[in-house]
Amino acid sequence: MSSSTTAATTCGPIPARAGIGLRFPHHRVVAETRPDVAWLEVHTENYLGGGATPAWLDAIRRDYPISCHGVGLSLGTAEGLDRDHLARIGRAVEHFAPALVSEHLSWSVAGGQYLADLLPLPLTDEALAVVCRNVDEAQEFLRRRILIENPSSYLRYRHSTIPEWEFLTAVAARTGCGILCDVNNIYVSAQNHGWDASTYLAALPPASIGEIHLAGHAIRRLDDGTVLRIDDHGSRVVPAVWTLYAEALDRFGPVPTLIEWDTDIPPLATLLDEAHAAQALLDRYRGRAGHADAA
Amino acid sequence: MPTLRELQRDIAHGLIARGGAAAAHVIADGLAPAARLAIYRNTVIASLTTALRLSYPAVHRLVGAAFFDSAAHLFLAARPPRGACLDDYDPGFAEFLAGFAPAATIPYLAGVARLDWAVNRTLHAPDADRLDPVRLAAVAAANEPHLRLMPHPSVGLVHAEHPVDAIWRAVVAQDDRAMAAIDLDERPVFLLVRRTADGPAIARLAPAAWRFTASLCAGQFLQDAIATAGEIDAASLLASYLIDGVFTDFAVEHDSGRQTMEIRP
Repeated sequence: MSSSTTAATTCGPIPARAGIGLRFPHHRVVAETRPDVAWLEVHTENYLGGGATPAWLDAIRRDYPISCHGVGLSLGTAEGLDRDHLARIGRAVEHFAPALVSEHLSWSVAGGQYLADLLPLPLTDEALAVVCRNVDEAQEFLRRRILIENPSSYLRYRHSTIPEWEFLTAVAARTGCGILCDVNNIYVSAQNHGWDASTYLAALPPASIGEIHLAGHAIRRLDDGTVLRIDDHGSRVVPAVWTLYAEALDRFGPVPTLIEWDTDIPPLATLLDEAHAAQALLDRYRGRAGHADAA
Repeated sequence: MPTLRELQRDIAHGLIARGGAAAAHVIADGLAPAARLAIYRNTVIASLTTALRLSYPAVHRLVGAAFFDSAAHLFLAARPPRGACLDDYDPGFAEFLAGFAPAATIPYLAGVARLDWAVNRTLHAPDADRLDPVRLAAVAAANEPHLRLMPHPSVGLVHAEHPVDAIWRAVVAQDDRAMAAIDLDERPVFLLVRRTADGPAIARLAPAAWRFTASLCAGQFLQDAIATAGEIDAASLLASYLIDGVFTDFAVEHDSGRQTMEIRP
């Protein structure tokens, strides 16, 4: 990060409009062409060091509201948060002063080892207590409310007792955190586990929804013929997820909505095109009563 | 029913070391638990392999993807990252390659790996303000014997038996002719790697200058480093380092090292 003496001014709030995930291949084109998009989100862990990378974000954040989306805090870890990592996140948040900070309902750290994926939690009372304790600690340390994103998953545990939508709702109720509703993840998990996606959406508290994520996923046919949907963020949003997104807007009102794309990253124009599609749906719901403000 | 801590240890062991206890906790539901866990294992291994490839780009190009991946998989199983910032993963890979038997036919590979890591640090190490020479001059003028300099976090010193700087440049540029022209029996190289506005700078130093620089960066007292510097012009070298921002701060130590007093502006 640029030297700690740089005082950060908070960028503007995230509007209830469509934004895109900012990835390294697009740093230069975004900084130089200032494309017409309402806001940008970065993966916090990519901006924890110094040098040219945070310098790009320093330049870009002057013109766009920024959201910092973490992938490494491991809020579901039984052994507690990695304080060093939390401190680094804290310094980045202080420096970039993002309008939103978010993380995942998942875990990645056990025995001091970082498993570089968002692993699913057993949905038990014990895990709920662990997640709430860790979210409390993160919010207290960062001195701000964070949003927690529902995961996509490819397995369920034998001893889970709580539906995921109830678990996430309980985390929000107990800790005061907001919910980052990833509509693609709901669709992927619902397809993989035989859940009803509309039931999931209907169970979430509209007042807690601070952001929506949209992304593409892959369909993988395994050797035995089983079909799994894999949340690879490597393609356009599929029609069924657009339909579910419209349902989410019906329920939550206009919410800041992000297009994520992380593998086989396309030209910026493709991301902007997807963002425009999301914006068109947002415009249809603009002005309806009962929508949640951005965190 | 496992506790959360037990479950997470089992899953971590299953993903990194292929331990089998994790599958017992997973519902089959039309697909073997091991196959469900394998989806996560593949992602974890692919992510960590990519992190190593980004930290060691010249090694990757030298050995090719298949060789690199197999070496990376062995390494990450033995030494998974301790934290979630993968720019820091992992300086130990160079040491691993030095002892990796299949790589023994490329005697300069470990040296290239150490240079890769030094360049990686110039890209990602924290920023820090350069040391103001006026502040240093005020203390040095008092002939302070217990003064140590602090190197910028992005500064790296690499010593290798082969011309790994020339190899690194040729490999990164994919310049086969430059690679073919390198004399592998050339004398050892002594390199200083640092961050500049134009990217990483890799400079060759004379052996004595490199040793002087390494002493300073390792925290040896400035007076002692200068006294043992031999025939090199230590004052000029130090001046150029101050201009280039190689050092960020200094500390003066009193009471035979039991107390450190940092001097701030």
